[in-house]
Amino acid sequence: MSGVRQIARRRLLGDGLTLFGALALGCLLFLGLFGPWLPLGDPLRIAAGPRLGAPSAQFLFGTDELGRDFLPRVVQGIRSTFLLSAIAVAITAVIGTLLGLAAGYLGRHTDQMIARGADILFAFPALVAGLLVAAVMGPGQASAITVISIATLPLFIRVVRSVTLGVAGRGFVTAAEVAGASTLRVMLVHLLPNVMGAVMVQLTYALSIGMIIESALSFLGLGVQPPDASLGSLLRQGSAYLTIAPWMVLTSGAVLSLAIMSVNLVGDAVRDALEPLKGRPLT
Amino acid sequence: MQPPVIALEQVTVTYRSGFLGGTGFDALRGVSLSVGAGETVGLVGESGSGKTTLGRVCLGLLPPTSGQMRFGGEGFGKLRHRRGQLSVVLQHPEWALNPRLRCGRSVEEPLVLTGVRAAERRERVAEILHQVGLDPSFAARLPGQLSGGQRQRIAIARALVTNPRFIVFDEAVSALDVSVQAQVLNLIRDLQERHGFGALFISHDLAATRYVSHRIAVMLNGEIVEDGPSGLFYGTPEHPYSRALLAAV
Amino acid sequence: MTARAQEPLVDIADLVIGYDTGTRQVRALDGASLQVFDDETLAIVGESGSGKTTLGMAAGRLLPPEAQLLGGRINVSGVDVTSADDAALRRLRHDRLGFVFQNPTAALDPTMRIGRQVALAMGGRPGPEAIAELLSRAELNEPQRIMRAFPHELSGGMAQRVVIAMAIARQPHLLIADEPTASLDASIREKVMATLGRLRAESGASLVILSHDLRLIARHADRVAVMYGGRIVELGPVVQVMQAPAHPYTNALLAAAAGNEAPGERLRPIPGTPPVLEARCEACAYAPRCALRQPRCEAERPEARRLAGREVVCHRAEAVIGAEQPTRQEAR
Repeated sequence: MSGVRQIARRRLLGDGLTLFGALALGCLLFLGLFGPWLPLGDPLRIAAGPRLGAPSAQFLFGTDELGRDFLPRVVQGIRSTFLLSAIAVAITAVIGTLLGLAAGYLGRHTDQMIARGADILFAFPALVAGLLVAAVMGPGQASAITVISIATLPLFIRVVRSVTLGVAGRGFVTAAEVAGASTLRVMLVHLLPNVMGAVMVQLTYALSIGMIIESALSFLGLGVQPPDASLGSLLRQGSAYLTIAPWMVLTSGAVLSLAIMSVNLVGDAVRDALEPLKGRPLT
Repeated sequence: MQPPVIALEQVTVTYRSGFLGGTGFDALRGVSLSVGAGETVGLVGESGSGKTTLGRVCLGLLPPTSGQMRFGGEGFGKLRHRRGQLSVVLQHPEWALNPRLRCGRSVEEPLVLTGVRAAERRERVAEILHQVGLDPSFAARLPGQLSGGQRQRIAIARALVTNPRFIVFDEAVSALDVSVQAQVLNLIRDLQERHGFGALFISHDLAATRYVSHRIAVMLNGEIVEDGPSGLFYGTPEHPYSRALLAAV
Repeated sequence: MTARAQEPLVDIADLVIGYDTGTRQVRALDGASLQVFDDETLAIVGESGSGKTTLGMAAGRLLPPEAQLLGGRINVSGVDVTSADDAALRRLRHDRLGFVFQNPTAALDPTMRIGRQVALAMGGRPGPEAIAELLSRAELNEPQRIMRAFPHELSGGMAQRVVIAMAIARQPHLLIADEPTASLDASIREKVMATLGRLRAESGASLVILSHDLRLIARHADRVAVMYGGRIVELGPVVQVMQAPAHPYTNALLAAAAGNEAPGERLRPIPGTPPVLEARCEACAYAPRCALRQPRCEAERPEARRLAGREVVCHRAEAVIGAEQPTRQEAR
């Protein structure tokens, strides 16, 4: 059957991509988490080599305008971009899940308020939010986390709310209500475990959005502040010397693209794994 | 004489839609119905006739807009105060149980809510699983590993575990295969003889309903148009709508 | 390709289909043979897991990717479905087959107005009159209003009528309906089935209904095929099969269904559970649950044979058909 062969090929290709994504993500996470303890050199040491030196055996990624080794700077960039986004998304996921559960299960006024709030946040461009937050809180990591939360909170609220609406009508929820279970018990024992699959999928999407936002903010100078580096601030730093030292943009840009792509690939695999049969509702 | 387990008197439920409740829709209109201990009342009618609304009222999930509801001769009060006294078995066996909980946890939940100790809970769960014809080892399984009929047995076990006075079966066998339906219908009859609960058996399937029920109420457009012993529905019921339903059996 | 009058529209022979579940292979069909002729309604009856959906969907090769063809052949209206390439299959499904699924709201695109979906199903550029005409053939009143509606604005019965209209839009030779009324309200099931039957008769197409509801199909099918354990165990005219079953499983199904019992009688469920086959069954698959089983039933795979106007797969068919309807136990 030719159809079967086609599907098999698509699966294998899909699996190959997933494997690639997982490996890339694994390497990046390893570098991000253990970078400071790896023998890569000091990202802050000025005049470790020539100014704007091209990639060489000694400096794989070249050096920047202050003569700093660019490889440890990129590794530090991975660390701050990943960590910042991950922290922001983790906080947001908890808040968004609870709000989504409340909106979907309690309905009525609670739902109205939370759903409208999510709509307003969603309609807010992340960049404008970033400028406002930076104006109020000053540029830095805290404001980057706040902006990522503002941008990804509605994702969690919406998905959890809609899954909750579906689950709340099911027999086991009604049976628990009739048995006299409290609202909190129904939400935590019966609804939460059944929306976790959807939350996991959103987590990866939110993480990639968070990384893009963090990079954009740092690129604009609103996120991580020098001398610390993030992938976005390295891109900005490199863009000034694009014609004479293109390796700065190329290396940091390539790593950023790889990071976002690998998160998305793994996210797709997670979604497929949680939804083994097409057309089945995500629970 | 014992008061009926549940008694509705002239119950009306109006759903409001539109701004400030501009337009209303009566899902139930002046419905009176009572279910005695050890009695099964069947409730048949097409979808939209108000069967499910009536079931929700009887379970205390939906307050009547007007009319009276009494539980064992007293006011109904809040669901919290009726813990362990009433329960429900619903349609869709695939949704009857929380897919993330082992069956034993699902069955014991009503006991947890009435504050029964863990050791006693385990005993009661094993006993009730045995009564619904399942091996006690089912307590350790997840619903995904069970067939539709087995899940519906677990749901019945959960409904019975506190020995409630009143159970609503809402389309409880509609999604099951013919031979499994027969098993579950027989199970409901046997368990009622043993436990003596009052039951409301809601279904669009007159054949199954008359088999388990002592009395049958026929609903049409939010009203009960006929209420009689189930034997009547093996012969010639009075209301033309009842006869139309019977013709489809 | 012109089919001769005697040639069956659908000819399925000794079909074996397995599903790969990852850890093991489960046989959904274990040598199923079936012929559907022009201008007839055939019902395939069986419980969940009997293989009826696999058999019905195999005719259009509408099977999930886990399904594996392990043997047998399927010929639909002159096309060898097992070996046809994608283009030929698409042409077959498009021109000759119509499908009606269990859940009409899932079969319709929620984002598209009914009128447009029906137009797409009809193909070409049908005018609004043609669309309205088709909808009214499926007994939908106010077709103009329905064309402007979105699927969620229709009741289940109306949505299923729209699906039926779409299924017959291209004058298919064969309509396959998988539990077409199972998700509908009991009070309208009969009417929707009547519409389906009338449209089939008008167009001269053949209709295959997959169902577990014996009582429903008794009134709407010409022939009935009873499935058990991935095989067709009894196949014949509805009246004969329902009034005097020759297979103990058919008999047991009829005794288990509520509706035929007298007041106070007790239903007799079939003991045990249906089999899950992992390889070819070398005995009678029903033997473990059968009251009439003999040593032979557990040792020898029964083959189809003709008896009393139907085909039956059972060593003990004579005993079933000869016996009086067993008396039911007194209850209560």
